[in-house]
Amino acid sequence: MESESPKPFEAQRTPSDHPEGALLLTSKDIGKLIAKVAQRDRAAFARLYEATAPKLLGTVLRILRDRAWADDVIQDVYIKIWQKATQFDAGRASAIAWMASIARNSAIDELRKHPARRTVSDDDIEQIASVQPTAQAQLEGQQAVASLNRCLDELEKDRQDMVRLAYLNGWSRDQLAAHFDQPVNTVKTWLYRALKQLKRCLAP
Amino acid sequence: MTDHNDLDTLAAEFVLGTLPAEERSVVATRRNEDPELEALILAWEARLAPLLDEVEPIQPGPDLLARIEKRLDELESSAVSSNPVTQGATVTELTRRLRRWQWSTAVASAAALMLVAILAFQPAEEPQSFVAVFQHDDQQPAFLLSVDLENRQLNIRPVTAEPVQGRSYQLWIKADELGPNPRSVGVLTNNMTIDESALRQYDPELLKAATFGISVEPEGGSPTGQPTGPAIHGYLYPTGEGKSGHQL
Repeated sequence: MESESPKPFEAQRTPSDHPEGALLLTSKDIGKLIAKVAQRDRAAFARLYEATAPKLLGTVLRILRDRAWADDVIQDVYIKIWQKATQFDAGRASAIAWMASIARNSAIDELRKHPARRTVSDDDIEQIASVQPTAQAQLEGQQAVASLNRCLDELEKDRQDMVRLAYLNGWSRDQLAAHFDQPVNTVKTWLYRALKQLKRCLAP
Repeated sequence: MTDHNDLDTLAAEFVLGTLPAEERSVVATRRNEDPELEALILAWEARLAPLLDEVEPIQPGPDLLARIEKRLDELESSAVSSNPVTQGATVTELTRRLRRWQWSTAVASAAALMLVAILAFQPAEEPQSFVAVFQHDDQQPAFLLSVDLENRQLNIRPVTAEPVQGRSYQLWIKADELGPNPRSVGVLTNNMTIDESALRQYDPELLKAATFGISVEPEGGSPTGQPTGPAIHGYLYPTGEGKSGHQL
């Protein structure tokens, strides 16, 4: 098993129900699968799904908060992955970021189309309040995760929360404004500054 | 603030997900034509993606992959509509027909399922002959099927398809008038031919609107009367004026 890159995607299977052992794929492995999918390899597509669907479903469900809805969006996501696989360029994006962006964009587009379908929930706040570096991150020393967390920690608490609520939970500017009891324009400015600061902090 | 800064902010907020819906859709379109914007978006995706480490993976339901694969099958069989060789109103009509083509549930669950193909060729005057192309692996035509409507004669020609030991190819027809399931036209002989008059019982109008498919079955044909084996995807080729048809 390679260990040089982060492994955010991992099928939730135990070795006993998967003869080839647990699927722990690096972003590079996933990139190779996408390349095969680009050649219409359906077996590779199924492997790609097995390796990535739990993470993508988690991502989409956190935004939509409705399992049936999330399932529908995940279907669209994998159809898009099948259709866009030829456009994936391993030189320009990591396979994981590429797939995750398709999932997040689909979920957020859906949410903006049907905002009333999502139940507003205190869970969102609890989720981001209880952020801890995951055990996996600590063990594997995922550098990118550590760097981003370090840079987020440098932001004021409210702004950290805003970035997480927007990116992970799909909150709109309006929802952020209501929750933080600020005018929308103030939220916009805060986000703008937070993103600039993050970019500076992450710059090599 | 420079233009670049504005663009970078736009990319950042697009990736964060906080752009209002209309702006969001403008950016989604614009990124396809604006390499600078696209690059900025990719950079922000890379910056923020590590946040997803905080997302708890959730095991999908056991049937979700099958649902996706079924949709892929449907998509692949209607991919004809995006084939650059096909054009115009004929394509629209054929796409519509393809969507109507649905095998039974039992068939849909059979591993590699489906194929479909249809008639192309609709010249300005009353069309009398049609060609369907059945295609393996998106590359090579496997079979060519032509139908002479006037005489209701049918001709099937293997292009790259070869006989498979212990298996038979079977031709199917599906039309609204024939009910929801495909109906067998006939089993191809070992020489890959089929009875020329196998379509004689069908009305020309029905044939014009029908769809055809070829599946791989146990020797002698499907034991169930419905397609059971892996099938060959069909892609359409118009043969009007012989232009693209000659490529075959």
